[in-house]
Amino acid sequence: MDSLIPFTTSGSLVDCVDRKMLVVLRDGRKLQGVLRSYDQFANLVLEDTVERIYHQDVFAELKRGLFLIRGENVVLLGEIDLDQEDDVPLRQVDWAVLEPYHRQEIIDKKHRDEAKAQILYERKGFCKEGGEGDGY
Amino acid sequence: MLPLSLLNAAQNKPMLVELKNGETFNGHLVNCDNFMNITLREVYQTNPEGDRFWKLKECYIRGSTIKYLRVPDPLLDLVKDEQTRAREAGRSARGGPGGGRGRGAPPRGRGAARGGPIRGGRGRGRGG
Repeated sequence: MDSLIPFTTSGSLVDCVDRKMLVVLRDGRKLQGVLRSYDQFANLVLEDTVERIYHQDVFAELKRGLFLIRGENVVLLGEIDLDQEDDVPLRQVDWAVLEPYHRQEIIDKKHRDEAKAQILYERKGFCKEGGEGDGY
Repeated sequence: MLPLSLLNAAQNKPMLVELKNGETFNGHLVNCDNFMNITLREVYQTNPEGDRFWKLKECYIRGSTIKYLRVPDPLLDLVKDEQTRAREAGRSARGGPGGGRGRGAPPRGRGAARGGPIRGGRGRGRGG
């Protein structure tokens, strides 16, 4: 990398509080909500949370309310730009309509990842993930 | 307020707990600790596929197995109000009886109020 990020004091989530954030969980879920608080484990409190699923050029949303997320299950946290958040080039549909497609996508992805892991294990000696892998 | 304080304040409230393996537990929170270990009562357990159900009178869930908890929406405001009320109560309880002692008392009263929560005032109690 050409630009070196300066090493200042420890990073914190304080700048993210009371902002609308995207949270991706290890099981692949994508949640959006207002970050209300956090702690040293990055456990999060997310208010007015909405879960979104995507499939090709379409998405669906479901209101989920107030979440307390255990920090170790979070893959990433990203701030949502309120000015751009509606510029999504995707069509919105009902959750019930999209859900079966989304479920199938997850199953297909799981098969692909298992096949990949098997090949890497057999040919290159990579270790396989034990039991529940990561869905993201 | 900290995530675990929100959890402590949610005692006796209904909630949904999803474990890392996808099982869900719907029940009322009895107690919790700093490891996020929780006990629930009147629990409806569902398997990850969502097609099998169990009813449990009570259950204990180890914190390390939890993926997330969903709590009632009004809980956040409810807890913030409780905290403010507890702080006001603590402040007046210390400022009141101490105020009669004269000019020097009020500052001491306010200082003691700041020390109050550390001693475990209602809002910051250990959830017992």
